[in-house]
Amino acid sequence: MSTVVNIVIYGVIMGGVYGLIAMGLTLQYGVGKILNVSHGEFLMLSAMTSCTLVKAGLHPLLSFLICLPAAFIIGFIINITIYRYLRKVSKDEATFESNAMLMSFGLYFILANIGLKIWGTLSKSYQYYSYPVKILGATIAVNRLIILAIAIIFIVAFFIFLNKTRIGKSIRATSQSTTAAAMMGVKINRTMAICFGTGGLLAAAAGVLIGMALSPTAQVGLSNTVIALIVVVLGGMGSIPGAVLGGLLIGLVGQAVSFIDSSLVMVANYLMVLILLLLRPKGLLGR
Amino acid sequence: MTMLEVCSVNCFYDNVQALWDVSLKVEEGEIVALLGANGAGKTTLLNTVTGLVKPASGHIAFMGESLDGVKSHEVLEKGIAYLPEGGRLFPDMSILENLEMGAYPKSLWNSRKSSLDRVFEVFPLLKERRKQMSSTLSGGEKQMLAMARGLMSNPKMFLMDELSYGLAPIMVTEVFNIVKRLKEQGITVLLVEQNVHQSMEIADRAYVLENGRLVLDGQCNILLDNDYIKKAYLGL
Repeated sequence: MSTVVNIVIYGVIMGGVYGLIAMGLTLQYGVGKILNVSHGEFLMLSAMTSCTLVKAGLHPLLSFLICLPAAFIIGFIINITIYRYLRKVSKDEATFESNAMLMSFGLYFILANIGLKIWGTLSKSYQYYSYPVKILGATIAVNRLIILAIAIIFIVAFFIFLNKTRIGKSIRATSQSTTAAAMMGVKINRTMAICFGTGGLLAAAAGVLIGMALSPTAQVGLSNTVIALIVVVLGGMGSIPGAVLGGLLIGLVGQAVSFIDSSLVMVANYLMVLILLLLRPKGLLGR
Repeated sequence: MTMLEVCSVNCFYDNVQALWDVSLKVEEGEIVALLGANGAGKTTLLNTVTGLVKPASGHIAFMGESLDGVKSHEVLEKGIAYLPEGGRLFPDMSILENLEMGAYPKSLWNSRKSSLDRVFEVFPLLKERRKQMSSTLSGGEKQMLAMARGLMSNPKMFLMDELSYGLAPIMVTEVFNIVKRLKEQGITVLLVEQNVHQSMEIADRAYVLENGRLVLDGQCNILLDNDYIKKAYLGL
């Protein structure tokens, strides 16, 4: 019984983090048609920066205030420079989409190597509420529960942002019809830059959370990009609720499978995506 | 007072000339129809007014103010609403959210509540179903919503592209009736249409565009008796 509780609680915790990462990736793709392979590097840079700052004496929660705005600004600037230029020189949307993905591979190499250069391959960690509590017979570290709580806060806040604010509505409008949104007076270039920056911010939020308990290294970027991709395909490209649902699924399945054999987790993830793509190519909540 | 003045506009797509020296005028309170077959350049002309397409030469003025080089969101704020061909709604947004997007520019956003009340008076059905996703509406309802969304910016002038296209005959009559009501409320309308007969019935004047050139214009009651119009557009 306590094993099942353990799997469910840890699954939900990882699901929340995955959901956060995947929301960022799906936002960048849904609005800007950029499949951002460097997404996980934003997470890595934020996780490592946060750990370094906390080691130097900063409160873990305060590191959000540094990592998140920094990630947003970097994403925003990358978008208005590289991607805006790329969009201008691409002859159509399909060309831009493939060029943008290739460009993000380049960004991945640059950012990943910056991380390796600064932090090497050793993991970073710090102690933050790292003592256990008992919940329904399962033993859970308190910091994991904090991670879950913060992930939920971010996910809910992001939903409110998208559905209730003027900018949020313009983002959804742009993802549904760029032309119509432009006709309504939405400044498309700026909206796309905001989305790319926000995507980076969400990855950075997940990065700080991972830094709290999971001892990240400068190599965690790519594996998280891959997981985010799986989650996004599972949930439906461009669907934000799909990203959260997909994240939960991957989190739960990952924990369940790793209880049997942790080397089979990715196998299970890919199998799940394969089966789903055969049954429902649009993904769970795709349109 | 002249609402819209288009003066000797030439326009190109790559190397193909889409508009040749087109000039037209719309007076305040009028309904003017811009008629012509597919590919005649009607939508291009509207796009030059809304700032989506830049003319190679010529001038456009709205209420005496030049629109040359003005961006599309500024055109909207100056009081020109645009209903694009096919409505171009946001499919995964509710009726209410689609309407809100019609008041997106900052200067309009804060007064969107009162704009909504005004629009719901013209379209009570939309008020009842404001939570419904726009993708679930019928063709006629979608055009109504597109009109309503245009009205959210409280326009002085409304450009409508193919309002009646693809609608059942009874819905065509209904949307044209709404256009007449907008005129009564003092909104000037430029109606781009392929439905020549019915649009001439509600319009005051009409221009006929063929292969990017204006070939005819005049009062609708006179044009309806024109032999060329009868033969080429009314099939009489």
